[in-house]
Formats: sequence, structure tokens, C-alpha cells
Amino acid sequence: MPADAPLATITIAGGGFAGWLAASLLARALPDLAISLVEVPGPDRSLGVAAAADVLLPDDLPLLGEAGWNGPDLLRGGRAGFVLGTALSGWRADGATAFMPYGEIGAPLGPIPFHQLVSTMRRRGQPVNMANYALGALAAQAGRFAPPPPGDETVHAALTFGLSIDTARLAEMLRGDALERGVRLAGTWHGEAVQRGDGGVQRLVLADGTSLAADLVIDASGPASPLSGARDDWSPWFPFDRVASARRTSEAPAPPYVHCDAHHAGWQSFAPLADGVGELFVFSSADAPGAPAAEPFAPGCQQAAWTGNVVRIGGAAAQHDPVAGLQLHLALADVLRLIALFPAACEHPAEAAEYNRQWREKTECAFDTALLRLACSGALGAVWDRLRARALPDRAAYRRDLYAANGRVVLHDGEVLEEAGWTALFDALCVQPRKGDALSDALPSAKITAHFAAIRQAMIAAVGRMPPYQALMAQVAA
Amino acid sequence: MNGSAIERIVIVGGGTAGWMTAAALAHRLQGLPVSITLVESEEIGTVGVGEATVPHIRFFNARLGIDEADFMRRTSATFKLGIEFRNWGRKGDSYIHPFGVFGEEIEGVAFHHLWARFARAGGRDAVEAFSLPVLAARMDRFAHPDSDPESLLSTYSYAYQFDAGLYAAYLRAYAEARGVRRVEGRITAALQHAETGFVDSVVLESGERVAGELFVDCSGFRGLLIEQALHAGYEDWSHWLPCDRAVAVPCRSEAALSPYTRATALDAGWAWRIPLQHRVGNGHVYCSSHISDEAARDALLGQIEGEPIAEPRLLRFTTGRRRKQWDRNVVAIGLAAGFLEPLESTSIHLIQLAIGRLLDHWPDRDWDPFCAREYNRLMDLEYERVRDFLILHYHATERDDTPFWRQVRTMAVPESLAHRLETFRKRGVVVNYRDGMFLDASWIAVYLGQRVIPEAGDPRSEALSDAGLMLRLAAMRDDYARMAAQLPTQAAFLARIGANAS
Amino acid sequence: MMAGPIRKVVIAGGGTAGWMAAAALSRLTGNGVTEVVLVESEEIGTVGVGEATIPPIRTFNAMLGIDENAFVVATQGSFKLGIEFAGWSREGQSYIHPFGAYGADIDGVKFHQVWLALRAAGLPLPLDDFSLCTTAARLNRFQRPDGNPASPLSQIAYAFHFDAGLYAAFLRRHAEARGVVRHEGKIGQVRLDGETGFITALALDDGRVIEGDLFIDCTGFRALLIGEALGSAYEDWSHWLPCDRAVAVPSTRTAPLLPYTRSTARKAGWQWRIPLQHRTGNGMVYCSRHISDDEAAATLLANLDGEATADPRPLRFTTGIRKEPWRKNCVALGLASGFMEPLESTSIHLIQIGISKLLALFPDASFPAHERDEYNRLTALQWAQIRDFLILHYKQNQRAGQPFWEECAAMQVPETLARKMALFRAAGRLFRYEDELFTDASWAAVMIGQGLMPERHDPIADTLDPAEVRNLAARMADAFRRTARAMPTHADYIARHCAGRPM
Repeated sequence: MPADAPLATITIAGGGFAGWLAASLLARALPDLAISLVEVPGPDRSLGVAAAADVLLPDDLPLLGEAGWNGPDLLRGGRAGFVLGTALSGWRADGATAFMPYGEIGAPLGPIPFHQLVSTMRRRGQPVNMANYALGALAAQAGRFAPPPPGDETVHAALTFGLSIDTARLAEMLRGDALERGVRLAGTWHGEAVQRGDGGVQRLVLADGTSLAADLVIDASGPASPLSGARDDWSPWFPFDRVASARRTSEAPAPPYVHCDAHHAGWQSFAPLADGVGELFVFSSADAPGAPAAEPFAPGCQQAAWTGNVVRIGGAAAQHDPVAGLQLHLALADVLRLIALFPAACEHPAEAAEYNRQWREKTECAFDTALLRLACSGALGAVWDRLRARALPDRAAYRRDLYAANGRVVLHDGEVLEEAGWTALFDALCVQPRKGDALSDALPSAKITAHFAAIRQAMIAAVGRMPPYQALMAQVAA
Repeated sequence: MNGSAIERIVIVGGGTAGWMTAAALAHRLQGLPVSITLVESEEIGTVGVGEATVPHIRFFNARLGIDEADFMRRTSATFKLGIEFRNWGRKGDSYIHPFGVFGEEIEGVAFHHLWARFARAGGRDAVEAFSLPVLAARMDRFAHPDSDPESLLSTYSYAYQFDAGLYAAYLRAYAEARGVRRVEGRITAALQHAETGFVDSVVLESGERVAGELFVDCSGFRGLLIEQALHAGYEDWSHWLPCDRAVAVPCRSEAALSPYTRATALDAGWAWRIPLQHRVGNGHVYCSSHISDEAARDALLGQIEGEPIAEPRLLRFTTGRRRKQWDRNVVAIGLAAGFLEPLESTSIHLIQLAIGRLLDHWPDRDWDPFCAREYNRLMDLEYERVRDFLILHYHATERDDTPFWRQVRTMAVPESLAHRLETFRKRGVVVNYRDGMFLDASWIAVYLGQRVIPEAGDPRSEALSDAGLMLRLAAMRDDYARMAAQLPTQAAFLARIGANAS
Repeated sequence: MMAGPIRKVVIAGGGTAGWMAAAALSRLTGNGVTEVVLVESEEIGTVGVGEATIPPIRTFNAMLGIDENAFVVATQGSFKLGIEFAGWSREGQSYIHPFGAYGADIDGVKFHQVWLALRAAGLPLPLDDFSLCTTAARLNRFQRPDGNPASPLSQIAYAFHFDAGLYAAFLRRHAEARGVVRHEGKIGQVRLDGETGFITALALDDGRVIEGDLFIDCTGFRALLIGEALGSAYEDWSHWLPCDRAVAVPSTRTAPLLPYTRSTARKAGWQWRIPLQHRTGNGMVYCSRHISDDEAAATLLANLDGEATADPRPLRFTTGIRKEPWRKNCVALGLASGFMEPLESTSIHLIQIGISKLLALFPDASFPAHERDEYNRLTALQWAQIRDFLILHYKQNQRAGQPFWEECAAMQVPETLARKMALFRAAGRLFRYEDELFTDASWAAVMIGQGLMPERHDPIADTLDPAEVRNLAARMADAFRRTARAMPTHADYIARHCAGRPM
């Protein structure tokens, strides 16, 4: 194949969620590509761990919308529930529960950020629960919800939500879409491939003995991919090594947030779906003898996601501890990045280099997010103690230490959380700045208190105007 | 109240950096029990004759509550829509890096991909036909942008060109009115804490001591506190940006009032032209190992448009960055923090950015090391990214007519820039980062202006037909041209808003 | 002269022409009176390896009640959206003469005038982008129209490439199933009525005598009946179309499977390329005054994109037409009636129009002269129109430095063509004459493709709102491109709908 030959054929290895997501979005964005997909037998680990439900973050929804999948499709096809944030229980040393909402918390007072005001008040001995000033948290608490209507300029417009989706169901819908758009289901693949010298793949050998060559191979076959390259092991930082998932159905939709409960050997989460929940149970096998059957997993990532003509996406590129609920977000980011950088020619070192740079940035930020979520927790248990005792890598440590020093949030290029998200995470886990903002500290308490009261009043009024969540979901179902 | 709050701030050096800092701190710390003292000597001149800026200056002024027309009258200011670069890609080339975007995306495909395909398919319009600020600049026209995103008048932003001395004076009046104390005098020494090396006070020629807790070093290149007292160190970047001298001279204005700065590449450097209301600031930035001071001065005088109205002034510098812009209780701002030639008018922006970051990481007397650490990390990123952008101008050239251009054209560039260039050249992707003042549109303007044309584009642009692309771009081009022709001249607009200097 | 219906039609010669005639005339057997027989000899080979066609063949197939997919399967056929002319205007340039129209007229202004006006306004838009067939062809895509007239897909017009031998066999099965009787044998003598000069019978070499009322001469170049027996004179057109030989060779199939025929100009003629499912048909048409047979064959073999799978086969011909294609009680079809090189894939079409005119003017046993005369008049007209179109390709070439091509460029063309070219050159005006096969779009495609650019456009185009025109034109071109990109590749489409048996 000449180097500058136009890239015309793609093979996607793996018919799990990540594979069909890539197939559907690529077929929509680049309709003249000839796309084939080969299925890999076994459970769908294409996102990392096999979970009954996965979460699309608030920022993912408009991106998916641009790519052709809008909210109603996702709600219907994914049996989705709305997610306003994550409720934590068992994560704090003081035993208190906490809520990490999506979206902004409170409102700044002039140039002073809200969390600096909170910090000032706390140092003055006034306890403040940040979640009381987050619209999403208040709505979740009240069991009320409605997406803000387009063009809304009231307080309601600040309501920020993600979606929790039934991964298998949505994968089914993506599959149907991809096939309808001409993606060819080429057979079953057991992992045999003829490699090229440059880390790429010449062709895949299918179960029926036939060969499939492609200009570009998208590896969506999960962490155990036969096309795996050199891999960094993250297990020194992430002690949890077992995962089990279950899908429970119920008459009524689960409330609009993810509930995550830490226990002595790990944690368990419940993601809301339209007709039940998706449960995820993650623990350390060393700390939970006699635990129910679970699959092993080992966090880590490829040293490069794109080598030669192979692009690894989702779990094939990196396996994160699922605690931060990012694996669907990351797979989507991979596919969108691939489309944005889609090469024009069969040889494409420039595109691969930039892809790898962005992917590396994002992977490291997601690593920090998951690690700090675990390492800053006050959960009880030997495994948690070991986790906390271990020195953090420099970059993650610096994030925590800077916040603890003056409440400033470090933001890198590939963040999965923005300033509000990091603040919510640290605050929920009781990491609090030692020092306040000079300007904030100069304000009289009465002024701050009045500001807080005004925010809360406006938010409670806005929540009061929302319909009950159950009623909204009944409407969605209809 | 925090018992360890900073109460005494000393700004060392007036000039643009010193007075911008003084004015901003006076405004932001209003009402707090803080004293701000600025020490400057009238003996020491300030660098900067005509100064060109980037649009962020408007937010700085606005936050201070400064009225635009008043400020423009008193600083002899003109509007600025961008910078014209002459002779950079090749001798005879001219492009404008505007404060604004080129064209509009179609079906999610960025305009520069569309334009590159259009050019490949035989389209003849230059990319600047799709930029309202460039068209307006070429016709010496200007009007304020429109906030309606549907209007073509929303596709650009603007900055100013002004007399830096008058701007400093303007801010001085502002700051003094808000309680900043100005101390006249030359600093002879800095007294430091014996163990920590923290600066306790500065001593003036008169013997007066000015003590403080936080010192802002705005003393210029020499870095009176940051370098001479604290030895923060300097990272030399002159192997990438080898110009090390400048000669500046103002002249009478002989042409229409241009709403843009000009940077003309010469044999061993480049010349700036900054048109103010009453005169034109000119300068020649050059590399002393390729041209003598006399020749550099002659080259400048040979190409200015009007009679010089002052003696040419020589400046020496080393491009680079202070290793720690914030060290102990000293924060260096302006030239004391580092020097990057004014090719992209970044000097004032870097000052402004430093002031904002300092306020974000406002210390107290406990001097939590994280404040300085994060401040330095962020400022380092800014300086590096501006540096890369400046290097691009020199490196992305086809010029090989002088040893200077052969050197910069073939030199090794920082890895970060090499990656950006390669990625754009191969696939038209603009590599960009969260931090860094120049956004995609700026990189695209310089890439395309200096003939870095993508070899391949976004495959999604293939969804459009060549004919459809040509027709849509023709319609777009006509809209821009029509709109530009409707704008008033800058002179008329200045008069209309009452901004004519007396 | 005898009255009453024709009782027996005798078709002399099989091959494409003979079996097309047999298949079409087989419907006559349904009246219970008329008998249709065909005489052919397996000893005599047929001309034509890969054959390219134009869209009216679909009407012929439909008239016979033939299922298109079954026909493509049986003939190893592929689909055709037009013809690419490579190097015809000058070396290195190529254009496609597509089937179907360009764009859509705007407020009664012909689209090519709109295009010329845009061009005059500084927008040199590629004409190709306004043809869905060209756009799809350049992307190697194919799909049939979906029957929705509002869909851009309705702009698809197509024909086929097929193996002519398999097509004849396919039609033979069709005709025989409908009562046509085939006689194997070599025609030894054509017997004429001493008084009228009408053909009474064909005497075969083996002594059999086949009598008939109406004789169809499909004996190819030899024109055994119409020429040898009846002496219908031949009008020579080789001063306009000087190529007089061809050499043909099949080669292995290559990817991608193109949905169009390619004609590449060579030193003293041109090379065809016809993509079929099982192989590619190739050939070289050339002028023996300018190139030797050996060089022509060598040039052909050197320019194949697959492996040759047989020895090159030579052919000789003289371009021209039988002055009376219908004489007495004999109608000539195919090569017996005349020859024009397959530059615009008209060979099958010429047979088809002969058949349809014959059916329209089908005589009774008295053979009225006015029916024959009308047949001959229409045939002469239609052939001349196609001839003019072919001449245009040669006349309007800019291949300087090659004597053959310079000669063609300098030749005096028929007055009918000269007038057409002059009208187009002046202001892009085109007028389609009575019964003319090629549409305005075809003439515009070839004239513009060959570099005959009008000096100005029709001023009527200036009455349109320029902004509206740009907008409409952009939408047309983008809709075509979007539609084309959404089509399956030609190979995929065939695999899905009408794959032939592997051979």
C-alpha cells in the first residue's frame, strides 16, 4: 500500500459498546469509508470493565448530539436515567454522606469564587454544606427534575445532568444504526493477526480462516486485547482487582443520581436506569476472602494508544478503576478524537502523534481523578489504609496539595473535571483549603451569609417549579 | 480578619508594568487595610515608545472602570485590528494576523480546511478575503464589533496602539487617586532577611527605606530584586530568538491612520510600525551578530515614512524567562520577569496576566509555597507558548536571502513547536492547549500567512462538492467585502466617539 | 404483389444483432400466423467481447420483459454511469460524459447557461459536480434510482457493460422459449425472385432451403443478403471517421470495479476499457494509415491494467452506412447495415433502433414502398446524428504534435455539425433535432469536455438573482455529492443484487 494512498477501509475489532459506538459515529461522520466490524466472543469489556450501566457526563451529551445521537434517542435506546451527581456514603472519616453534583456550585460574589466564600465561613466556624447550594443536589434531594428548556435564562438553566445508560441496550441500538449505514459485520475474531513491523496490523485472521485487511484497525476489544502493546501497570496505586456487575429491574425508575457506597474492601455503586439500576461491585480480593464470584481486572494503560495503523479505544487503550464513572466518557472521547484527527492517508504519523498526545493527557487526568477520589477518602478498612499510606504520584499529589493550600484547582489540558467538579470532589472527601482568599476573608460574614441565603432561596424556588422525577420519567416512557 | 494578611506592598519601578500593577492592585484591594507604595526614579527612562496591545487590554481597562474615549484621547491611542507581517514567508509577501476568525465552518468542518480544499480546487481568493478585520484594516476602516453573534461585525475583536509613557501616566493618576503612594528615588540596595533571603525593604539614594511584605519587581530587564537580590536565574532563549537589540524612533505620520501594527521582516530582524494619532512609533529589532548597530539604525531611518521627531534610542536585551518569576516575597512582572520581543504585541498582555495570577494566588505572610509554585507553573506555560508562537514566525519561512534567515529557517525549534508545525502541515490540525493566549485562529493566520499549507485536510470536508464549496465561499467573501466597505474610516470613527487626542 | 400478413420472418445470422432481433420479433409468433426462424452457424464467430451500452437498452429489455438483475447475472454484467474520455482534449486531461442531466434548470434557464453565467462571474465551477452520475462514477459508487422523483437519486441514469456472447446466448434462450426456431447451418446462397428481385429463400450449404417473406440480414460486415445479394450500396464515412481497424483483448478484473467505460486517446486512435464482473474488455480502435497493426496491438497490451487472458483479435472495418438498409424484403441490422466505432457505445443501440423502427413500420406481404422509404429516411437521419456526435470528439481535440489528431482537428466536418458547434461556441446554445439520440447534456458534456467553451452565455441567465442562483447551485452540487457518497460501491452493489457465477 503506498504511503499516501487515501485511507479507505477500516476494521473495528470488537463488537461491544466501544466498537459499535465507533462504527456508528464513524459511519455518520465519514460515510464513504468502508467499515467492517469483527465480533469478539465473550462478555463486553470494551469500555474497561463489564458494567450493566455506564454514565455519559453532562458535556458528553452535546458532543453526542453533534455526532448524531440526541437525548431522546439515548433515553429510549439506553433505558437511561438522568444523573445529577453522585451520592457518597461511607467515604468520609466522619461517617457523613456527601453529594458531588454536576455543574456549578453556588455563585461567585463579584470576583470571589463561591468555594472561597465557603472556605472563609468555615474558618470562621460556620459549617457550610456545599451541596445545599448546588441546583442538581437540591433537585436530587427533592426528587424533582426537568431538563432546562432551550433558551431558558432562569436559575433552571444551570441544572446540569448526565445520563446513566443500559450499556448493552444502547450498544444494540448503535449496532442497528451502524449496520443500517453500511457497516459490514465481517465475522468472528479470536485474536489472530498478522502484525506489521511498526506496531500495526496487516490483517486479522477470522474464525472461519478468512483474512481481513484494512488501512486502519480500531481495536475496541477491551483490556485483554490480542493487539495490546507495551502497557503501564497501575496496580501499585489501585488495589481493587475484582469487579462484578448486575442489572436489577424495578417498576419505578431509580432516583436521578449515582449512589456510591464505600465498604471495608472496596465500593459499590448503583446507577439509575429508567427501569431499575445498574450495580457495580468493586473490591480487593486480598481484603475480601469469600466474596461472591467476580471478574479480575487490572488498571493500567497502553504506552501509546495509536501505533502503526492500530488505534486502541476505550478499554483496549486504558483500563481505569471505574470509581469515577468515566469509562464511557473516555471511550466517547477516543472516538470523537479519532474522527477529529481522522487521517487522510494510510501513513499518518502526524495524526497518530497528536492523537497520542491528547489521549495521554486525558488518560493522565482520568487517572488523577480516579486516584484522588480513592486516596482522599476517609473510608474504613485495611485496603483504604494501604491506599492512603502510599505516596501519590507527583501530579496527583500536587493537585490535592494545592487545593489544600489555597483552594486553587490545577487544570491541565485533558481534564475530565473542571474547576467545579474538582472542588466538589475535594469538598465531598473533606479536603479543605488551609488558607482563604484574601479578598474573601475581608468580607463581613453578614454579607456572605446574605449572599448564600439568596442563592439558596432562588434554587429552592427553581426546584419547586420542576415536576416530580417519577412523573417526568413516566412522560419519557410514554 | 486573617492575622497574617499582607499589609504593605512595594512596587519597584514605574513604567507600564509598575503602574498597571499599582492601578490593578489599588482597584482590587480597595477597602482592605493594605498600603501600596511604588518607587520610581524619573532619571530612569521607561522602555516603550509606541506600544501595541492585544484585545485583553480592554478587559483590564474595563475592570478598572476606564472610559475608552477618555483613555484614547489621553494616550494618543488608535484602534488595532491586527498586525501586518510583510516579507516574512517570502520577500514580497504580506498577511495580517487579525484579532478575529477567518470564515465560518460548514457542517462542522473548520474553515481553514474548507479554504485549503477550495485553494486546491482552483479557488483564487486569499484567506484574508474571509476576514472582516483584515479587510477593514487594509482599508484603514474601523468600527466597534457587534455583540449580536449573527452579525459579521461579531467576528472580530480589537485592541489599541498607544503611547506607553502616556498610558503609564494615565494609570499613575488613577492609582494615586486610589491611595497608591509614589516615592521618587533611585534604589541603591535591597535589604534581605539574613536567613530566608526575603526582601525586607529597599533603600533609596536619599537614604530612605521603603519596607514591605510583598515586593513586585517592575524594574525592567535588570531585575533589581528578582535577579540582583534573589538571583532567581534567567533561562536564555536567544538560540531560538536570536534578536538581541532594538533601536526605536518616533516619526511624523504621513499616511492614513491605520488600525493595525506592521512588522516588516528585514535582513537581520524586523521593523515595527505603530501608528498613533499624532505620530508613528518605529523600531528595528535585530540580531547584533548579523548587523551592526549603525547599520541597524540606518536601516530603520531608511524606511520610516516621515521625519524623525527624536534621536533613535538603542535597547539591548536577551530573550528568555526568569527561572522563578515569583521567588520568596518578590514577584517579577514585566521585563523583570522575562523578555519576548514585541512581534506579537504580547508585553502588556503578559503584565496583565501576571497581575491576574498574582491576585488569584494572593499570598499572606505565611508564604505558603504553593502560591508561588502554581503561579510560576502557570506563567512558565504562558511564556513558553508565546515563545513558540514567536519562533514560528521566524522558522516558518522560505527566506534564505541572508545568513540571519538561513539560520532561523534551519534551526532546531522546541519539540512542542515542531509537533505543532508538523501536525498542521500534514493534516491541518491546530494543536492547542488550555493555557496559552494565542488561540487556533492566530495560529492559523500565521501558518497560512507564512505558507504552511496543510498537505491533507479533514476528511469530513469531502462531504462538500468542489462547486458547492466555491459557491459558498464566494457568497461568504462577498458578504465580508460588502460589510467591510460599509465601515467608517478609523479617523471618522475616532471623531465620532470623541476619542481624538487634542 | 402479394397481400396479407407476413407469414415467415427469416433472420440470417445469430450474434447480438440476430438474437436481439429474434427476441424482439418472437412476439410476432403469438398471432398464430407468423413464424420466426434464425439461421446461424457455430463456425462463424461473433464480434464483440465486452460490450458497453447506453440507457435506452433498459427500454429494450423492459419491452422483452427481461428482469434486469437476471440479465446482469447471466451476462457477467456491470453498471455504467457514463464514459470517461481520457486524453481526448489533451494529454493528461479527462472528462466524463455522463448519462442523465446536469443540475436542474432555474426559472426556465437551462442549467448549462446558469453554469456559464457563474463562470463569467469569476466562478470556474467544475461541471462534473452538477452531474450525479459523474459524481458517483468518480467515487466508484452505484445505486439504482429509488423511484422517488424528489430524491436526488432520481438523477441516476444508467446502462450496462456485459459480455456480448453471453448476452446473445441469454437472448437466444429467451427467443427460443417464445417459439423462435433456430437452424444451424451456413448460408450458401441467397435466392432471389427473378421478377421482383425479392429474396425468396436462403439455401444452406447442407442443401436445406429456408423460405421466407421477410429477411433480416444480421450477417455482419459480409452483409450477405443486403449487400452481396441485393446490392444496397455503402456510403463511406471514413473521411470523417478515419479509424479503420481495431484489436480487442480481454484482461483480468482489477479493483475497484469502475461504474463507467473508459476511452483513452492514443497516438492514432483510442483504447476502450469495459469493466465486467469476470474480466475487463479492452480494445484499440485505430487508423491504419497512422499506425501499424503490430504497434497498435503492442500499445494495447502495454496499457492493460490486468493480465491479458487471450490473444489479441484484429478487426477491420470501414465506417459508413448502407444506403438502403431496407431493400426489397430485406432489412439489415447490426454491422450489415453499417458501422460506427463504439466510441459512444452506440453499437447495440443502432441495432435496437433498427428493430424498433421495423416493428413500428412492420409491413405486410405487399411491402409498401412508403414504409420502407420512411424506415430508410429515419435510419439515415439517426445514424448521421450519431456520426456527427462522434466526429465532434475527433474534430475538437487539442492533441497537438500527433499527425493523426492534427489531421482530425483540421478536417472539414459535416455542415450539420459545423452549425451545432458554431451555435454553441457563440453563446452555448444547443438545439436538439427530431428523434436525436444525444441530449443537450451529452452535447454540452463533450463540447465542454473537449474544450469548446462558449464565448459568452445566454443573456437570459443574467435575469436570475445571482445570490439565489449561487445558493441553488451549491445545494444541487452538495446534494449530489452527499447522495453519491451514501451509495454503495459499484462492486458492493453488484455483490448484493446481481453477482454473476464465478467463471
